[in-house]
Amino acid sequence: MYRKKMFIILAVVMLLSLILTACEPETIIETVVETVIETVEVEGETVEVIVEREVEVLKDKEILIYNSYASDPAPREADEEIVQMFMDKYPQYDVIHSTINHEDFKQAIRAYLTASAPPDVMTWFAGERARFFIDNDQIMDISDVWEGEGWVEDYPAGFKALSSVDGKQYFLPTSWYWWAVYYRVSVFEELGLEPPTTWDEFIEVCETLKENGKTPITIGTKYRWTTGAWFDYLNMRINGPEFHIDLMLGKESYEDERVLAVFDAWRELLDNDYFIEDAAAYTWSEALEPFITGEAGMYLMGDFIRDSLPTEIMDDLDFFRFPIMDPAVLIGEDAPTDGYFIAANSQNPEAAKAFLAYLGSVEVQTYNAEKLGRLPTHTGVDRSMFNAAQQKGLALIDGADYVAQFYDRDTRPEVADMGMNVFMEFWDDPGNIARLLEMLAELDAYRMEVFGAD
Amino acid sequence: MVRLRRNFLPYLFLAIPIIIYLVWVIGPMFYTFYLSLTNWDGLSSPQFIGFRNYERLFTDRVFFLSLTNNMKWLASFVTVPVVLGLALAMILNRAVPGEKFFKMSFYMPMVLAMVVSGLIWGWLYHPRGGLINSVLVGLGIVEKGPGWLSDRDLALWSIIIVAIWRQVGYVMVLYLAGLKSINPEYLEAAKIDGANDWQVFRKVLLPLLMPVSVIVLVISVIDSLRAFDLVSVMTRGGPANSSSVLANYMYIQAFNNYRMGYAASIAVILFLISLVFIFIYLWRVMQDELEY
Repeated sequence: MYRKKMFIILAVVMLLSLILTACEPETIIETVVETVIETVEVEGETVEVIVEREVEVLKDKEILIYNSYASDPAPREADEEIVQMFMDKYPQYDVIHSTINHEDFKQAIRAYLTASAPPDVMTWFAGERARFFIDNDQIMDISDVWEGEGWVEDYPAGFKALSSVDGKQYFLPTSWYWWAVYYRVSVFEELGLEPPTTWDEFIEVCETLKENGKTPITIGTKYRWTTGAWFDYLNMRINGPEFHIDLMLGKESYEDERVLAVFDAWRELLDNDYFIEDAAAYTWSEALEPFITGEAGMYLMGDFIRDSLPTEIMDDLDFFRFPIMDPAVLIGEDAPTDGYFIAANSQNPEAAKAFLAYLGSVEVQTYNAEKLGRLPTHTGVDRSMFNAAQQKGLALIDGADYVAQFYDRDTRPEVADMGMNVFMEFWDDPGNIARLLEMLAELDAYRMEVFGAD
Repeated sequence: MVRLRRNFLPYLFLAIPIIIYLVWVIGPMFYTFYLSLTNWDGLSSPQFIGFRNYERLFTDRVFFLSLTNNMKWLASFVTVPVVLGLALAMILNRAVPGEKFFKMSFYMPMVLAMVVSGLIWGWLYHPRGGLINSVLVGLGIVEKGPGWLSDRDLALWSIIIVAIWRQVGYVMVLYLAGLKSINPEYLEAAKIDGANDWQVFRKVLLPLLMPVSVIVLVISVIDSLRAFDLVSVMTRGGPANSSSVLANYMYIQAFNNYRMGYAASIAVILFLISLVFIFIYLWRVMQDELEY
């Protein structure tokens, strides 16, 4: 009996100590100037004097929760580095940083946002995906930070517009990257190929690669978003970026003949076996393998492709603008922008704003541009330090008439999901026109339901 | 005082698991029923829409595709692993040299987490560098190995094979336990009466193993209905939903497309199907308990 009691007491003590250690915040020593009234005796009289003294007080660190989707090795390292830099510079804050796998993060974000104590700062996509949360009052208005940090002047108008709803700023866009067709210089040189600029040239390049036993285009569609890039580009090149964006916003129909033209062009590539076999067996990064070994010639990808390639082939890597199919059509490019926001229910808005101000500073953006080769949004970042690829990417986007984000960022996620299913099924059996029409009709009915369009 | 305490204490101890069970299992279950009648995006408050989700479900091609896949899974699960597991148990129940080693090897896949099995088999199935295709090509059986997980006709079966590989050892262990509990005198008596091996198996062992067989069947059914991990890791239901199962489809609807209400209605259907089998299982277990 006595032993039992002892055991219970022990258990309780252990539990309590666990809870207590969990609650104990980290502290820092801060020097504060304190004003005190002291009574001094001067010549027999008692006088009150106001004295200022420096005192050292023990202050609890302010805790800040930061969830990030930078889960690829290189961005993750940079992300952790930035958090450390922030804490070194502002020791009064203690950032609790969690990195969540990119795909999982997208799935968990609504649970984060609706929690009673959500993460204070989170990474996210600019544009429609952020707009949805802003409309649902889940993102904090940070116009004061934009004003206070001078971002209103320092950020290009386009990025400011991307972050604003009704004249208030909610989002901090920090970096963006371009999409392009990446290719292996050595493979092209070996076969005497030039980067194509028109569709006919592109088909010719594919044909030459194929004749020489190479896979013209690699792609991994296990996660289906890679197919979205092909739809985006074919649609923008054939029908123009305006039609594309209207389609994304639910204003145009998927049953439009113009959409069918996209699938016709796509079918040409599929029927000629220009894409890698068994694409659905690979993730986007697994599909890099034949590209690295030189068995595959090209890969339509965002510039984050660089994060996952071995350094040895960096010098052998180059990219070109997705070929022009109709010179009369305006040029649209995908250039997704990433950034940060503060949750509307943030428990530490002051700390969160301080962190956001730091993330949007020239210092951090310069660091990111150097370390990861992303393009910064802050005009204060010295553009002369950009490497050749960044300069070329910048020129690519500067030469575009219209910049889109990406298929699953420009339209609503549930429509994008169904759309990507259509792409996948089409990919598997491109000759089945009847089935394609049926799927597009289904997709369009759903588009109307989701967007509430006529 | 002492008596009161004695009566009160069991309830106190029971109260904790019951409360936990109510809060974490029963509560969410009813909440899921409620959600299935709503349209909810996970952010704004749920909108009540009656049975609209169910109406949509019955016209949803992917839902039926997933359901069919679950049924294919179920059909293979109640046959192949059961037969193989029983056969292995029969072989390993006698003193075979290295019997312990074989038992362990067959049970080993069960010890691995589903996700790990899925990843390992994902590599085995790799169309270009995977072990299976390398061997097939190396032996000159085929010129180019199939894309096990990227071919719409093969993907589901490729996953089911992994699930079966895992299940066989489990079924074997259950049958081994059943065989150990059979009184050897029955077998001797049958032998003395002139029964041959097949007759002993067919007329004595199999009926005596009946309680185990029922449990094995029901477990196989339930396991095949909740299939999720392997699909999620190996194909995510692709290509073009060809390997999708209900649990995976529900997950994608809920957390990829944020259609919580619709996902909840899939969950309810899955729950109702499972319920039938769970009742059979419980009924069987209770009956056994009453017998002893």
